[in-house]
Amino acid sequence: MASTLITASYLIMGERLTLTPAEAAELKFTPEVLTHAELGAIEAVAEHLVPGAAEAGIAPYLDAQLRAGKHSLLIGKYLGVDISTQTGFYRSLASNLQQALQTGSSTSAVVSALWSDTQPDWEGPPASYMLFVLRADALDVTYGTPEGFENLGIPYMAHIMPEQPW
Amino acid sequence: MVSEKPDVVIVGAGAAGLMLAARLAEGGQSVTVLEAGPERKLSDLTSSQIWARKLKWSEPAVSESGDHKIGHAFNAGSGTGGSAIHHYGVWLRMHEGDFSLKRDHGLGLDWPLNYADLAPHYDRVQTEVGLSGDADQERWRPKGAPYPMPPLPLFAQSRVLAQGFEKTGRHTSPLPLAINSQPYQGRRSCQYDGWCDAGCPIGALGNPLVVWLPRALAAGVRLEHGARVSRVIRSANNAQHMESVEYLRDGERKTLRADRIIIAAFAVQSVRILQSSATEQHVAPGNHSDKLGRYLMTHPAATVFGLFDEETYPHQGVSAGQLLNHDDYDKKNASGGFGSSQWMIGHAIKPHDLLGYGTGRPDISGAELEPWLKRAARHLGNMTLVCEDIAAHENRITLSDRLDSDGIPYAHTHHDLDPAAAARWTQRMSEGADIMRAAGASEVWSGPRIGMHILGGAVMGNDPAQSVTDAFGRVHDTDNLYIAGTALFPSSGAVNPTFTLTALASRQADHLLGKS
Repeated sequence: MASTLITASYLIMGERLTLTPAEAAELKFTPEVLTHAELGAIEAVAEHLVPGAAEAGIAPYLDAQLRAGKHSLLIGKYLGVDISTQTGFYRSLASNLQQALQTGSSTSAVVSALWSDTQPDWEGPPASYMLFVLRADALDVTYGTPEGFENLGIPYMAHIMPEQPW
Repeated sequence: MVSEKPDVVIVGAGAAGLMLAARLAEGGQSVTVLEAGPERKLSDLTSSQIWARKLKWSEPAVSESGDHKIGHAFNAGSGTGGSAIHHYGVWLRMHEGDFSLKRDHGLGLDWPLNYADLAPHYDRVQTEVGLSGDADQERWRPKGAPYPMPPLPLFAQSRVLAQGFEKTGRHTSPLPLAINSQPYQGRRSCQYDGWCDAGCPIGALGNPLVVWLPRALAAGVRLEHGARVSRVIRSANNAQHMESVEYLRDGERKTLRADRIIIAAFAVQSVRILQSSATEQHVAPGNHSDKLGRYLMTHPAATVFGLFDEETYPHQGVSAGQLLNHDDYDKKNASGGFGSSQWMIGHAIKPHDLLGYGTGRPDISGAELEPWLKRAARHLGNMTLVCEDIAAHENRITLSDRLDSDGIPYAHTHHDLDPAAAARWTQRMSEGADIMRAAGASEVWSGPRIGMHILGGAVMGNDPAQSVTDAFGRVHDTDNLYIAGTALFPSSGAVNPTFTLTALASRQADHLLGKS
């Protein structure tokens, strides 16, 4: 299956539809790789870092890209997250974030601890590195689109306009 | 299955492979090219930094270690055009001193040829590809023919940054680019919209799809995609002769015999293929002196950013930048480290992705982010430092113990940066911040040091005990196996390598056709 088709389709109440990540988020998509709880923790922190990321569809975007396997377009491939390990990376990130957010600390306090790598009981790659990758994902889905450019006042000037769903 | 036997089989459809294919086929040779990645067409080159990631290496991973990793996933490509399909088109000649590093400074390695040997090929290739620039303004440029096209126009960002160079007593020239400033050989001129990293679908940037592929196909070259070469196979009767290449396609293991075999699969995969070709009877081709895979290099590079009161509109222009500074290029031995360096000035830039200004400021988040991005979208300036790497025996490509699903070993790379090269990088980055402030930036910051370009691993040389190939890229202990591309480079200089690798391939083509 072409990567476009893999990453453009989402399960909405049992039916597979071709949607943008923003549309999939709005229609309460059904995750296929990560769980609702895992994506919820990731989305909360992504939204804190890059306001608008939740509405732009950070959760469905990540879930669909992880489902795409070798066709994944996540920035992690540039940042040392080999495609074959991407699902484990985000699952680990989600697990750590879930634990951190359950301590009762505010999201802001948790994020500060993550940037400084002082979050207790963090497992896996350094928290600051994982947060950097997540922030880059959030920038991608929020500002890496023609709509995102328009929000910043940048003319997109495409030679070939990207397909929108990814 | 054994297919018909071409005169030449070339592994890799990138800048070197397709150039050699075109030239050799036009010279009467029958040529087959095996490309591991998928077929790419201009219509695939979507204007999106996210979609652009499709063009980068996505075959089995290359693991990396060391204090200055080579960044294989970002630097390498796969599919028709190889990494050159997403290259930015900075075509610079290496300087004369880049060819004699060991003779002149006792460091690294020497080339088995000099600038004068390559100069005619630089001249010929720049006409075939089409370069835009102003040779007279490049006061540091080695001798050579003027560019066939005038330089690209300057946009607001570069006019602002140029003031910083001028105020600190430095010079700038238009950046020479394989991008059309005017229609050239039936190809359109640039639209200056900054999507070069995603590949140029209008043919303004001289990537292999528009320069070499049409010539290769017109001359009868056969091109197979999805053909992952696992190894080259020696003749049972003549240990110096390579009989065929073995490759996997659609799950089937195939063999293709040829009179000559050229491995042009970019530095890491070219070495991986040769290393995988060792047998119980023979060491890997080119590895009789344990030099195969060694002297791996990558340019230490980083970008300096500034915010200005003036409007710079940094989305305008091309990804490569608009201006060049080589004032200190030939001062390899100047105090404060070792090596050449250059500034590429005024890149067209996006808010996101690896090189984006939003990504590079993780300290800005939450409610502050969007207003800051909006300001940067109109007032940002940026320029990239490229420094020289020094070839070191310990920096190398090896086979991993890990096998992919087809049983092909992964490659592993190890690269540490020489302390003298690292010191030069630190020194120049500090100067870059000063230049940015002199240009009027109210806020200055820099990105991390990254590995830009991948070179070495199968270096050429006169001494078979110290190198892998001769001066024409022929593997020393063979009579018909050649390497092409940046794997051959014994030194890195501090310039982007596509012009030099193409000039080298031009020289190889003449040699293989009996013209030199």
